[in-house]
Amino acid sequence: MKAPFSPYLDAIAPGLKKLVALLGEDYDYVSVLSTDSVGFVVSISQRAKHVDHSTMMTERGSVVRVRRGGLYSEFAFNRFDPACPEQTAAEARRVLNEQFALLEETKSEIYDTPALPDEPCELREEMETGELPENCDLGELVDSFSEMSARGVACGEHAVDCHVRGQSTHVCKMFLTAKRDMRQSYVYSEGVVAVIAAGEAGVKFGYESVSDRKGPEIFALLGEKVEKVAKSAEELLTAERIEPGEYEVIVSPEVSGLIAHEAFGHGVEMDMFVKNRALGAEYIGKRVGSDLVTMHEGAKPEIQVASYAFDDEGTLAHDTVEIRNGILQTGVCDALAALRLGVEPTGNGKRQNFEHKVYTRMTNTVFESGESTLEEMIATVKYGYLLKGMQSGMEDPKHWGIQCIIDRGYEIRDGKLTGKVVSPIVMTGYVPDLLGSISMLSRDHELFGSGGCGKGHKEWVKVSDGGPYMKAKARLG
Amino acid sequence: MENYILDLLRSSGADAWTVSDVRRRGWEFYFVRHALDQNRARDAEHITLTVYRQFSEGEQSFLGSASAEIAPSASPAEAEKLIAQLLDEAKLIRNPFYTLNEPRGEAVLTAQAPDLRAISGDFLRAMRSVEESADAFINSYEIFADCVERRFISSTGIDVTDVYPASMTEVVVNARRAGHEIELYRMYKSGSCDAAGLKANVEETLRFGRDKLRAQKTPALGKCDVVFSTDDALEIYSYFIDRMSTNMVFQRISDLEIGKRVCEDAGGDALTVRALRSLENSSHNGAYDEEGAPVRELTIIDKSVAKSYFGSRMFSQYLGLEDSFMPGNIAVDGGAASAAELRTGRYLEIVEFSDFQVDAMCGDIAGEIRLGYLHDGDTVTVVEGGSVSGTMRELAGSMRFSKEQRQYDNYLIPAVTRLQGVSITGAE
Repeated sequence: MKAPFSPYLDAIAPGLKKLVALLGEDYDYVSVLSTDSVGFVVSISQRAKHVDHSTMMTERGSVVRVRRGGLYSEFAFNRFDPACPEQTAAEARRVLNEQFALLEETKSEIYDTPALPDEPCELREEMETGELPENCDLGELVDSFSEMSARGVACGEHAVDCHVRGQSTHVCKMFLTAKRDMRQSYVYSEGVVAVIAAGEAGVKFGYESVSDRKGPEIFALLGEKVEKVAKSAEELLTAERIEPGEYEVIVSPEVSGLIAHEAFGHGVEMDMFVKNRALGAEYIGKRVGSDLVTMHEGAKPEIQVASYAFDDEGTLAHDTVEIRNGILQTGVCDALAALRLGVEPTGNGKRQNFEHKVYTRMTNTVFESGESTLEEMIATVKYGYLLKGMQSGMEDPKHWGIQCIIDRGYEIRDGKLTGKVVSPIVMTGYVPDLLGSISMLSRDHELFGSGGCGKGHKEWVKVSDGGPYMKAKARLG
Repeated sequence: MENYILDLLRSSGADAWTVSDVRRRGWEFYFVRHALDQNRARDAEHITLTVYRQFSEGEQSFLGSASAEIAPSASPAEAEKLIAQLLDEAKLIRNPFYTLNEPRGEAVLTAQAPDLRAISGDFLRAMRSVEESADAFINSYEIFADCVERRFISSTGIDVTDVYPASMTEVVVNARRAGHEIELYRMYKSGSCDAAGLKANVEETLRFGRDKLRAQKTPALGKCDVVFSTDDALEIYSYFIDRMSTNMVFQRISDLEIGKRVCEDAGGDALTVRALRSLENSSHNGAYDEEGAPVRELTIIDKSVAKSYFGSRMFSQYLGLEDSFMPGNIAVDGGAASAAELRTGRYLEIVEFSDFQVDAMCGDIAGEIRLGYLHDGDTVTVVEGGSVSGTMRELAGSMRFSKEQRQYDNYLIPAVTRLQGVSITGAE
């Protein structure tokens, strides 16, 4: 079925178009982004249960962007009377004029930016989905999660609890200017099963997730993962600490995604080029990885939680090849950064929600697959680790340092898994060294879209990332 | 918030209900160097409804709940539909019975609505006052000044409102020499603008930046004492604080028990952690927590012994606590030695990580080193790269911290913290 567009947004659209026209009398560019996204979260464990309707992307509100004298300004609000847009226009003018007065008083210099083009565009895209979150039978879901939670505890010798959580969101966004009327709706869902185990080593947890641009029907897949998660929690209880050093590693698709995201995802967000915060600007056309490395970024090439028709500035989704055969091709760009750099925007202008500013952000970031099987890859490792499960990562676009905290490593000696498990693992290094050492890729690839991505330490948005199994050399600690 | 929402809740048949109504008005300014990239204003109200249903099965009593945010633009018909939906959903949630907070009659902190123009002006001038140089300068910064109005209403008779400022500044600095340029990132949070403190903090970061230009690769040190003197130390103290929450204790994620030590005694300083009702220029100076419980002074850990859990109403009641709350401000008392005394012998003082983390569940620590000072007698070597690892389960007992304290927004913690025998993976 199609995810229907919000009747509320359709109803206020005429009022918002009037608002754009009213502000157009004072400003030389005006746009408005309005959102009306609904969803739910169900969380079940043996000790606590929870249901609410606030997910990472549920919201209802609007933000106007205006330009005058080379300066872009925004006003975000969530009270709007479509019968009286004059009231909102007056409030936007009032508060922004107060800010302009303060900026004059403090003699603040303005970063002069050209006016955004306003090419005509009409789009209404209601994307295919399964079940809508608002139609989901939460009673059935609570029962299903309760069964999974009980099974997770039962099948782990040291398990003290099993948390099962699912959230599903029906996103509706509308972007309007004098000449553009773009409306889109889609559904994404994500779920996780986590088993908590306690032993002499303390409390550890294992987890597996599911995510897709589909409805709550994907949560059924969590049930297949319960036993595997319980086993990984038990493994962590007896895991040893790794001897720090450089190793041959094979990273799982989840860790490949983390590397893609942290290494050249953040590193080529081009609003960082504007601030001279990214080394990538100097490496376009140069080698940054081995011949095997080709990496895509965009809302278009893959269907996952961050796949949309247009971004929060009304730019259509793209498929950007950032790295081809080890050579850095280009970055991704929001509309204002594109104007400043003299390039085309790539559909990567995203806001945390209507209250937040647009930044250049990732969508789906993925390494292309190769020709090998996992078994062939393991057979080539003299001494190293198969790395699985990600905890977190951090970018360093200025110096291309990388930090990935990984759940666990399975020791490989003489081409065979020994059964020894180490945890946790801090993988650090210099990005071109890490990508330059990639020597084998598996045939399959997988994307992961649970959780969120921040810029610095804020501005959380949905992204997905992934790739195949990859063999490389890395420093582990 | 429109009164019809309360009227609908009162007549809904819910066994209990609460409303959280938070309005945030914000001014924001984004700069590239000192040129204004964009200015923004926000005015958004977030109204969250929670309805409760009490029911029994056999001899077991339950209190289920369901929550949702309702847009301030919602019509009465939308509100009525949503409340009916929440009533159905609350019956699905089989949490053991507990009661909601009741009015406790404590005094209210009075607060004036903060002046966003004045606070923003203070930030703009403070950032302009930072002493920069050709080799160390501000790359970009973002200023956020908010006025928070937080009202909490419940069917049990609570109707309280807090008004307070909450601000944040994100600053990126660069240092440059002979074509080599580095950056350091900082995020400062506070109530309103502490101009002198912000200036001092940014200038300290500029000094770190100049030092990073001459950094060598961190050697493989094996085990080494590590000194923390920035807000990364918050992660260390949060390991203890988080595990004293009723949420983690009830869910068996924390094994801390009242009356027992929170770590082994291995010669470290005695740890005392207190919840504070207010802390000067904190962005968390509300008089009530998000469930309407009054915030008060409370000793959480006393001389390394767990004294009082804290947390949300449901988990606190499950542990038998009637008057608990979620604190906004936390103080960790100073230790026995001065900062200077802790900075002796061989140690690595790390002032910049990629992202230093302490896993509150298992105590594992991890972080890539972006800038550190390796002290060995009179020799100081500036280092970068490599990482730290270990577990607080082994490191906590010998942890030492300074008499002097330093405030990071709503946390007042020892200015210097020293962990003994941390594993250091070198970058060489």
